[in-house]
Amino acid sequence: MIVDALAKLGRDTISATATTGRAGLVLFNALWAAPDVKKNSPLLIKQLQVVGVQSLAIILVSGLFIGMVLGLQGYTILVGYGAENSLGPMVALSLLRELGPVVTALLFAGRAGSALTAEIGLMKATEQLSSLELMAVDPLRRVIAPRFWAGMISMPLLALLFSSVGIIGGHLVGVEWLGVDSGNFWSVMQAAVDLQDDVMNGVIKSFAFALVVTWIAIFRGYDCIPTSEGISKATTQTVVHSSLAVLGLDFVLTALMFGE
Amino acid sequence: MSNRKVEVLVGAFIAAGIAAFLFLALSVANTGSLSNGETYRLYAKFDNIGGLKVRSPIKVGGVVVGRVAEINLDTQSFMAVVSMDISKDYKDFPETSSISILTAGLLGEQYLGLEPGFMMDGIETLGEGAYIQDTKSALVLEELIGQFLFSQNGDD
Amino acid sequence: MSNDNIVQLKNVTFSRGERVIYDDISLDIPRGKVIAIMGPSGIGKTTLLRLIAGQIKPEKGNIDFDGAIINKLNRQQLYAARKKMSMLFQSGALFTEMSVFDNVAFPIREHCSLPEDIIRTMVLMKLNSVGLRGAAELMPTELSGGMARRAALARAIALDPQLVMYDEPFAGQDPISMGVLIRLIRSLNDALGLTSIVVSHDISEVMSIADYAYIMANKKVIGQGTPQQLRNSESPLIHQFMAGESDGPVPFHYPAQSFDAQLAEVFKA
Repeated sequence: MIVDALAKLGRDTISATATTGRAGLVLFNALWAAPDVKKNSPLLIKQLQVVGVQSLAIILVSGLFIGMVLGLQGYTILVGYGAENSLGPMVALSLLRELGPVVTALLFAGRAGSALTAEIGLMKATEQLSSLELMAVDPLRRVIAPRFWAGMISMPLLALLFSSVGIIGGHLVGVEWLGVDSGNFWSVMQAAVDLQDDVMNGVIKSFAFALVVTWIAIFRGYDCIPTSEGISKATTQTVVHSSLAVLGLDFVLTALMFGE
Repeated sequence: MSNRKVEVLVGAFIAAGIAAFLFLALSVANTGSLSNGETYRLYAKFDNIGGLKVRSPIKVGGVVVGRVAEINLDTQSFMAVVSMDISKDYKDFPETSSISILTAGLLGEQYLGLEPGFMMDGIETLGEGAYIQDTKSALVLEELIGQFLFSQNGDD
Repeated sequence: MSNDNIVQLKNVTFSRGERVIYDDISLDIPRGKVIAIMGPSGIGKTTLLRLIAGQIKPEKGNIDFDGAIINKLNRQQLYAARKKMSMLFQSGALFTEMSVFDNVAFPIREHCSLPEDIIRTMVLMKLNSVGLRGAAELMPTELSGGMARRAALARAIALDPQLVMYDEPFAGQDPISMGVLIRLIRSLNDALGLTSIVVSHDISEVMSIADYAYIMANKKVIGQGTPQQLRNSESPLIHQFMAGESDGPVPFHYPAQSFDAQLAEVFKA
């Protein structure tokens, strides 16, 4: 019994280490060579369309609703202390520091990450990746690298849009509906929000999340077992693993950035 | 979808992202001239800084002119030394200026209020690294209450 | 010697995990011929093609391709060597997000910087040779299975390789498209001066075009020769394979304990 459990632990550790190593190699080999700008920029633009533009709708709608909910909840709590003038900073800081980067990353994992995994997995199953290799075209550079960069570029932009729309949503509810003074909303917010500490730290967070989510998504696709079952498992793993990784990483980054 | 259309959409996406950043930077965040403008350093010693923190604002007549850069304890006099970064836009405060730790509202955050002193010939201005001599420490609510009770007793 | 044989496997051993796929096999692929590699399913005939392409490395032995030892090349040299070979996958492996024309143009665009009108001419020539010039603007999903394989063949010969490897080209094809493919493999081989390796278990079809054939089973090459020699072979293994008998030296049953013993266990329980 105990020996079996030990053996399982050992086996899992070895396989986890091997997986991490393979994931590192995939990313390294994809990004190692200097990119050929002329050949790769059309590929990157196409992936930006798939990964970024097509995620826009869900990000904007979610951002608006989350901002509106923050406005409503914040108001009912703050008005109890007579502090409804602090609604602006509450909405803005929640969005910029936490909800913008985190919720964007979670939505991105579900919307774009799973699609990346499934697409790459299907390319593997239909031997398109092998066939690229045999045409002396490195699939890591041709297929993986543009998707990775598209994720890295898209996610911070999406997070910024999410936060902006969320603040507008909070303004709609707080100012237009519940009657917080508009001048107060903006000026108290401006006094409390700092470009370096809040906006830039949020951007740094979303870069870190972009790395984690995109990396997991492309690796799961590239490493999947090329059957319908394998692809579906890989897609699920992408969403589960990247969501957990984002939340865990968020705690670490928050502790580093705002913990003192 | 045609290449042209994809390019336009992606361009619009990037532009929207940059616009969102500018919106956050300019109209949500406090950019002020202070965050990246040039500053000079002043110091002040206090007996008690209360709830003053690094990055607390320094105001003259309600206008933010700088922020607290560091708070240390002087190991000789055991007084708190507050280092302040003041924007170069606001200089030539006279030596006679006083600084006090104030509270915004009853429960609000604490900030430094700089009260410019009188100008006269022979009085120098505060330059880089100067100490403000005239300081008033934070009002600590417990001490105030204690003093109030004490003075009440004294009246009896 | 390397002039006669474009590919040479020398004492190659390869295993996947615990399972040995090839045990010390050697075979030669002469230049300009159509070579058939046949054998029962599941013995890793596709693995052989992947070994030649350098996608996987043997544990022991060497694989020569056109004077270079494929399994010893570094990444860059390997990619250079691969420009001289191409492979037709079972599924065709066309890129689903681009048209047939762009699929065929893909390797040309990727490796040569030619003006668009020359690329267009080259692509139309290749498509014409497989009879799909009219389907240039279709998407791969709009093609039938046989047409998809022909389009993939046009892509495989786009850069005029020296070696084309066919992985089960006839699997799941109707008799007409099978006939078309058989004719194409032979005629392209002769017209373009290629060497073709055809991996298949459709014996009669592949035998009709092969110059030379290898039969693989039980991790070894069990027979080789021209189609005529193989048909007349005395070996029971070759005979079973050529005649398609269900039992023989290659057993019908997957290795197991005896049926009686297993039944006895079931009833005892």
